[in-house]
Amino acid sequence: MEPETFLDHEMVFLLKGQQASPFVLRARRSMDKGGMPWHLRYLGQPEIGDKNRHALVRNCVDIATSDNLTDFLVEMGFRMDHEFVAKGHVFRKGIMKIMVYKIFRILMPGNTESIEPLSLSYLVELNVVAPAGQDVVSDDMRNFAEQLKPLVHLEKIDPKRLM
Amino acid sequence: MGVTCVAQVPVAEGKSVQQTVELLTRKLELLGAEKQGTFCVDCETYHTAASTIGSQGQTGKLMYVMHNSEYPLSCFALFENGPCLIADANFDILMVKLKGFFQNAKANKIESRGTRYQYCDFLVKVGTVTMGPSARGISVEVEYGPCVIANDCWNLLMEFMQSFMGSHAPGVPSVFGTKHDSVYGPADTMVQYMELFNKIRKQQQVPVAGIR
Amino acid sequence: MAEGVLSPGVNLEAFSQAIAAIQALRSSVTRVFDCLKDGMRNKETLEGREKGFVAAFQESLHSVSRDLGELERLSNLVGKPSENHPLHNSGLLSLDPVQDKTPLYSQLLQAYKWSNKLQYHAGLASGLLNQQSLKRSANQMGVSAKRRPKAQPTTLVLPPQYVDDVISRIDRMFPEMSIQLSRPNGTSAMLLVTLGKVLKVIVVMRSLFIDRTIVKGYNENVHTEDGKLDIWSKSNYQVFQKVTDHATTALLHYQLPQMPDVVVRSFMTWLRSYIKLFQAPCQRCGKFLQDGLPPTWRDFRTLEAFHDTCRQ
Repeated sequence: MEPETFLDHEMVFLLKGQQASPFVLRARRSMDKGGMPWHLRYLGQPEIGDKNRHALVRNCVDIATSDNLTDFLVEMGFRMDHEFVAKGHVFRKGIMKIMVYKIFRILMPGNTESIEPLSLSYLVELNVVAPAGQDVVSDDMRNFAEQLKPLVHLEKIDPKRLM
Repeated sequence: MGVTCVAQVPVAEGKSVQQTVELLTRKLELLGAEKQGTFCVDCETYHTAASTIGSQGQTGKLMYVMHNSEYPLSCFALFENGPCLIADANFDILMVKLKGFFQNAKANKIESRGTRYQYCDFLVKVGTVTMGPSARGISVEVEYGPCVIANDCWNLLMEFMQSFMGSHAPGVPSVFGTKHDSVYGPADTMVQYMELFNKIRKQQQVPVAGIR
Repeated sequence: MAEGVLSPGVNLEAFSQAIAAIQALRSSVTRVFDCLKDGMRNKETLEGREKGFVAAFQESLHSVSRDLGELERLSNLVGKPSENHPLHNSGLLSLDPVQDKTPLYSQLLQAYKWSNKLQYHAGLASGLLNQQSLKRSANQMGVSAKRRPKAQPTTLVLPPQYVDDVISRIDRMFPEMSIQLSRPNGTSAMLLVTLGKVLKVIVVMRSLFIDRTIVKGYNENVHTEDGKLDIWSKSNYQVFQKVTDHATTALLHYQLPQMPDVVVRSFMTWLRSYIKLFQAPCQRCGKFLQDGLPPTWRDFRTLEAFHDTCRQ
């Protein structure tokens, strides 16, 4: 399939209860393609797994919704934590999705017109949405990542070490 | 879709819910309406979990998650007097993830099932409303496909409903009042069902003659 | 009537004599050419040959002129057929003495009168019909088409710019009606008319003449899968199928071949009255519905709403 460009606005919402960690939901909308549904995404905690698995695995629920999503999340008790704009390219290889994009900071809250890049670098993200337990796909992912060397070093890391 | 009106029809005196439904459908068939399969609208109630109350300054609001066989891939989430979110079926899975915050009041699950009729450009759905094991009432949904502005065709809808519901034809649904001349959508129908279900739930205690 | 004709007996005699004279003339003319063809016959002396040829040639020419004179004399005897009779030679039928057995002549006169009357009435009818003509373009005017100057069909070759102007003027005239003009197939324009939030109309034009029109619901798709206007499929709703029928009738009603722009404007004015398609009760029975349909007919003059079966 042809690579595509994208320009998305993402808002991250938190729902705080008495539990230690808040519930996080991501609401994303396309800024350059009209008439698309909003995208609501739930991401679970990343699981490192063992050495035999070459990618991080996390639970994921993707939902297409109507455009009143943010109002509805607020009604549910969520509040917006932060927002950003992502702009770049998306490539597909089989069920693998490779995104090369830059993240932009929003200077004035709510105004997605005035933005500035967080860094000059691009972020490269490789992901696959697969049914739970299909760890084999991580082999394909490692093979693909090998091809990108030495331009890009895509490695499995433990995000907890970065925090 | 066109403009839709959802109404409750009281159970006829000395008759059961089932008999009243048969009375209605017979009238429709005499009018010339044709049977076109079945339909189902269901509604689940979620309580805001006690844990979030206080920390967010929220009162114990109820959230409703509904499905409509007319839109089999969609899921409708509503608050009373609040926004109605239209999402795909994965929203149900999200609600499972959210169970620490929103609890499903399983006993409150309510649904309306029945037959779908077509008459000219009208679509009529006569359903039995059930909550748990018992039939609680009768819902009638009338959709007029060609029109998209609720207030434009209200008189016409009314005349049609009177032709088979007689004096039980309803007044203007409250969602019509807020529409002005914006286009009527599936969410507006779901709001009407939510209001109807809430009304029927409250009638729970009142004994109605003939309910089985 | 029969003055110029001689009595049958004499007439016949003169005829047979005249025919004999024609035969004689023909044979003498043949002889002239035979003589010329044979040329000078073989004689002893050249002089003798020339003399013999000239004598034979002279002789045969003389006989030609003699035969011709005889024929002219006889043709005067035969006489001319009458020329002033209105039925020409068929007038001779009146001379038949046995009228009762063969009433051909009176039948002929009768038929002649009929055909005269028919032509007269056809002329009147064509005049009347042309005033109320259902033919919508000037170059289709039947009989009169031949007599019309060549300039007539120009209404069909109006410049696209002019069509654009007429349409955009109509577009501005009615705020609740929006008209999108496109030319997907050459110079013929197609219009997508959106009337409020009630209905959409696809109008196929040929120059400024409306060729075809389809009415669909506001929420119905009017494009094919490849994004072109769908001019073939009908509405899914019975009410708009009915309105489509009425709109097609209106195309035949509103027409004025010399002023196609007025026609388009009248049609659009009529179409605009459908803005209250779902709101106007029938002006005759006072109801909204009849057989499940709202009043789909709009009077061409008053624009009042009627059910199809309630209109006068």
